[in-house]
Amino acid sequence: MGEGSRIRTRREGDSPARDTSFPRWARGFPFLVVVATLFLYAVWPWLPGSKAAPARTIVLYGFSILGEALNEGVFPAFQRRWKAETGEHVELVSSYGGSGTVTNQILLGVPAELALLSLELDAMKLADAGIVPAASWRSLPKNGIVNRTPFVILVRPGNPRGIRDFEDLGASGIRIVHPDPLTSGGANWAIVAEWGAGFRSGGADAGRRILSGVWRNVVAQAASARAARTQFENGFGDALITYEQDVLRDRESGRLLADIVYPRRTILSEHTLVEIGRNIPAADRKLVEAFANFLWTDEAQDEFARYGFRSVREERNGAFTRIEDPFLISDFGGWKRAKKEIVDAVWKKEIMKESR
Amino acid sequence: MSIVLENLTKVFAGRRVVDRFSLEVGDGELFVLLGSSGSGKSTVLRIIAGLTPENEGSVTLFGRDVTNLPAQERGVGFVFQNYSIFRHMTVAQNIEFGLRLRRVPRAERSKRSAELLERIGLGGLGGRYASQLSGGQQQRVALARALAYEPRVLLLDEPFGALDAKIRVQLRRALRDIQRALHVTTILVTHDQEEAFELGDRIGVVEHGRLLEVGTPESLYARPQSFFVATFIGTGAVLVGRCEDGNARFGPITLPIPAELPHEEGGPIRMLVRPEQVRLMEAPPLEDGTVALGKAKVVEQTFAGGTRRVRARLPEIPGLRQIFPAVPYGEEGILIDAILPADQPVPPEALICLTGWRILAQPQRRVLAIDTGGGSTDALAGAAVVARTLGASLRILGIARDGAQVERLRTLVTERAAAAGAPDAEVRIRTGDRDEQAATELAETYYHLCVAAARAARDRRRGAFVSPAAMERSGTPVLFVRGPLRPIQNLLLCTAIGEPGRAAIRFGGWLATRLGARVRLLHVHREGQPPPAWVLSHLDLGVRTLHGQSVAADYRVRPAATPAEGILAEARQGEHDLIVIGKNAARARSRDDVTAQVLQGSDRPVLVVGGNG
Amino acid sequence: MSAAQPEIPYSTSPSPTRRRRTRLPFAPVGFLLLILLPLLLMPLGAVFVFAFKGGVAAFWKAIRTPEAQFALRFSLLIAFVTAAINAVLGTFAAYVLSKHRFRGERTLGIVVNLPVAIPTVVVGTSLLLLWGPIGVLGKLLGPIGLQPMFRPAGVLLAHLFVTFPYMLGTVKPLLDEIEGTYEEAAYTMGAGRWTTFRLVLLPALRGGLVTGALLTFAHSLGEFGATVMVSGNLRLRTQTAPLYIFARFEAGDIAQANAIAAVLAALSFLIFFFLFRYTGRTKRAG
Repeated sequence: MGEGSRIRTRREGDSPARDTSFPRWARGFPFLVVVATLFLYAVWPWLPGSKAAPARTIVLYGFSILGEALNEGVFPAFQRRWKAETGEHVELVSSYGGSGTVTNQILLGVPAELALLSLELDAMKLADAGIVPAASWRSLPKNGIVNRTPFVILVRPGNPRGIRDFEDLGASGIRIVHPDPLTSGGANWAIVAEWGAGFRSGGADAGRRILSGVWRNVVAQAASARAARTQFENGFGDALITYEQDVLRDRESGRLLADIVYPRRTILSEHTLVEIGRNIPAADRKLVEAFANFLWTDEAQDEFARYGFRSVREERNGAFTRIEDPFLISDFGGWKRAKKEIVDAVWKKEIMKESR
Repeated sequence: MSIVLENLTKVFAGRRVVDRFSLEVGDGELFVLLGSSGSGKSTVLRIIAGLTPENEGSVTLFGRDVTNLPAQERGVGFVFQNYSIFRHMTVAQNIEFGLRLRRVPRAERSKRSAELLERIGLGGLGGRYASQLSGGQQQRVALARALAYEPRVLLLDEPFGALDAKIRVQLRRALRDIQRALHVTTILVTHDQEEAFELGDRIGVVEHGRLLEVGTPESLYARPQSFFVATFIGTGAVLVGRCEDGNARFGPITLPIPAELPHEEGGPIRMLVRPEQVRLMEAPPLEDGTVALGKAKVVEQTFAGGTRRVRARLPEIPGLRQIFPAVPYGEEGILIDAILPADQPVPPEALICLTGWRILAQPQRRVLAIDTGGGSTDALAGAAVVARTLGASLRILGIARDGAQVERLRTLVTERAAAAGAPDAEVRIRTGDRDEQAATELAETYYHLCVAAARAARDRRRGAFVSPAAMERSGTPVLFVRGPLRPIQNLLLCTAIGEPGRAAIRFGGWLATRLGARVRLLHVHREGQPPPAWVLSHLDLGVRTLHGQSVAADYRVRPAATPAEGILAEARQGEHDLIVIGKNAARARSRDDVTAQVLQGSDRPVLVVGGNG
Repeated sequence: MSAAQPEIPYSTSPSPTRRRRTRLPFAPVGFLLLILLPLLLMPLGAVFVFAFKGGVAAFWKAIRTPEAQFALRFSLLIAFVTAAINAVLGTFAAYVLSKHRFRGERTLGIVVNLPVAIPTVVVGTSLLLLWGPIGVLGKLLGPIGLQPMFRPAGVLLAHLFVTFPYMLGTVKPLLDEIEGTYEEAAYTMGAGRWTTFRLVLLPALRGGLVTGALLTFAHSLGEFGATVMVSGNLRLRTQTAPLYIFARFEAGDIAQANAIAAVLAALSFLIFFFLFRYTGRTKRAG
């Protein structure tokens, strides 16, 4: 075997046409074109000359169900109003998650200027951590409460399990999807709603009974009210306890493949706005305050109503289904007490131990 | 001179891989460095190229001292064993690489690479990639690449090592032609003596990092100086005789000793006999210059084309021993090879006659004594006696804790050496940790034997002694002396731990021949458990091996509770003057460490022989 | 199917290897497809099915929203920058780990590969606890205006961390394979260290560099866990495409989520198409 023959066998594997007719540098050409295209696409908005000076921004962190109402309703309304008044275009930057998640993010230092929390308790957490002055939100209109929505029960179309009220959720074999009280503000509301419905009809024992009946049947806990909703929509469980607002919009658009059950007695959840002063640059303070105050104008309240939130001004809520015996967290002495006496003492200490 | 190396020394991890290496290579010469793997020859080449920094010494290329220049500025061509052709470049681009770095215009570059491709016989293949070439072709390209920028020095590191035999022969011829044509000074490193013979104008033989001998292929083959070169180059037998009345006496024959060869009356002397110098005859020779060694039996013959290699066995001859090739373990007699024309009939028995021979120089033997500067001088005295007996030079190592004590210790050790009867011993002082420095000294220089004082079990002055383990680690046999060394007449060779240590037997036998001592092989077995048959047969073979070395020997098997106890009991009972014991493989648990127990328990000198002694 | 084709006894058909390719492995290939179908192929298909459920117009509308556009661009940009920076860092790390012997080398080799094994959420959390406004470094750097978290820089940091091993993993084996004499040959010919790296090593690593960069790019494009922690998840500011998808999904907007997911899937497909083309070619050439 000479050296020559070895070469010939090696050559067989190659395709000479490609080697010779296509120059070496050109072989990666399609690849380069794709890379360049993607790159251009990515940097396009940042290219010089493609955009005017950056607009001022308001950074808002909100709990999950607020996303649509703010992004599509309230923000554009405020932008229009601000533009009309000052001629300036402002950007509203937002992020949504479970109320507890948002609170924790703020504790970790996200640059939120405003936070819309589903639970006053979360606002208190921020105050405890020294991020905002204690009870600073109480100096805002309506004690900082922006809107309300009652807790309702969502069931499968036609209500096959015959659920009429919270009591019925304790029946055996019913599978409930519930947000996780550790991260979700909605879940805490739901617990108070469940317990409170019983309490107002038959005292603390009745409250306990209903609550334990519900939690016996919880088959899935989601991180936020929204996530719980998504699970339910994907076919999981027979019933979901959630904000009324959350389901109204979808019912209107016909997307909701579920029925709403209004309990006789339920809580109206109240959502608190917190200004995080230390994240607001001095130059933007006026702007942010203007936006905060805007939230209580009729214009904003109507936008909220369009997205299913009940107004803080009861006279504007005529279009919503009437609830026989609505109650508020203040009926139980505010969130601080309710958390201690209902969520911690009853739910966490008694019911969760039982169900384990 | 175009390449001058002076005193190059390279130490890797405490080992001198290149040891005071000096060499001059002439203009246009093709010089071959020949050595076994690990001999340090490649390191020398890398030092010349600037790829490995030297510890000491200098490199001068064409009168320019390049010792402190990086590889990039030395302007040498280097060819590696593994070709190292740049895979992403074509052959032509590879060859032009050096020119490209030198900013040679493109046109000139391609002209030059085309020329070189033509010269190496790969004309027209400039567009190929390495993956499309055979190993031989790649090595040709590597050669062309190293020559492209016209270096005045070409270095080749085992360039044909990775190729098969046939291509190797072709390439050698190509290299020779190109080297002659370009007249480039070349050093080639190889372990293949055939290659060295074919290519080298001169050959340098390298061993243990030292340049042993330099010469033309013919002179190295015919007139080697040292045992190593005699046996490394070519084949042949090395026989040991004795100097008597100014002549060398090898059993029945007496040969003159060349005048320039230093020798010692009564001492051993060695002779190299090449196979082509051996004749098989029926009657004693009549012609001059041919001597008869004795009657031999033909034990083996190998047909090799035009010639036939015949191996004959001579019976034991008094006053004559063979040291190379080593007689197989357990056999006696002398094995001599001869090369005969293939058509000549081979008689079953014949008279072995020599038409030529080469008397070899006596090796320089070295003994190291370690002295701590305190305690009795018995070990020094013992070392002096041993060194004299072995005809070896003696070096005494003292180890100072820090630089301030060096001079004081030197004076002290020199005085002690004189008192111990070794006034002309060389004294060397090292500074640092005692064990570490002793181990380094033994690793750096090759010693036949190391002598040290043994610590008695009662002696609490641990700091006054070098740890045995540190000395034994080097593989050098270590003689532990306690008290004055008496004349050694009875040697106890311990094989208590399993199979008799061959290294211990070889070294013990070698020592016994020099001391004129008797040897007893000892095997200790557990009480109530008689040794298996293979132990006895090993002992028997050991005794025969010793007989082959002209040593009086016998063996003994004795039962004992522990090996160490058996050894010590035998040493007392048989009045043995020296205990020879193999190094323990496992040092982990002192309970099993027979060597340490014997060292502790004996009042006699103990010689510990390591792995390959 | 070829499996049904009778074997022609005296066929002069190409070579035995070719025939083998079409006939023998039918069973294993079928089995593999069977396993992959529910595991991989059907979920992938579902992404596209749901993305186009409302028709092409709806799909188009979904990806044209400013949020979606921002998320896609932002993701691509981060992926480009991540790939570029890690290409340099990873190659350097590979060079050091491959060509230098030092104490703790093995440990370092393991540590730099850890980001693959650590849950990315943990990476995000630890970055937050280090660099965040209440973190160890963040507390020091915050006052001087250096606050990478909840900014694009934070996202980049997280992506650099998470994708670091990919470059290393593709380049280091190549470097390990290159014998030391490869560089030394260049040195003896007169090339300095940098020249040698540029002209001799780098071209030999090209395949690995492209593969590594593409893998880094692809992984960065899909990174979720660490990003969600460090980005602050601000739409139009730091929301990457996967975060956007998740946000849409959480908001119950499955069609929109799937539209962007389909775009990402298509991009990934494109990346791996090039990846295979490239590795296939270098294998043939090398």
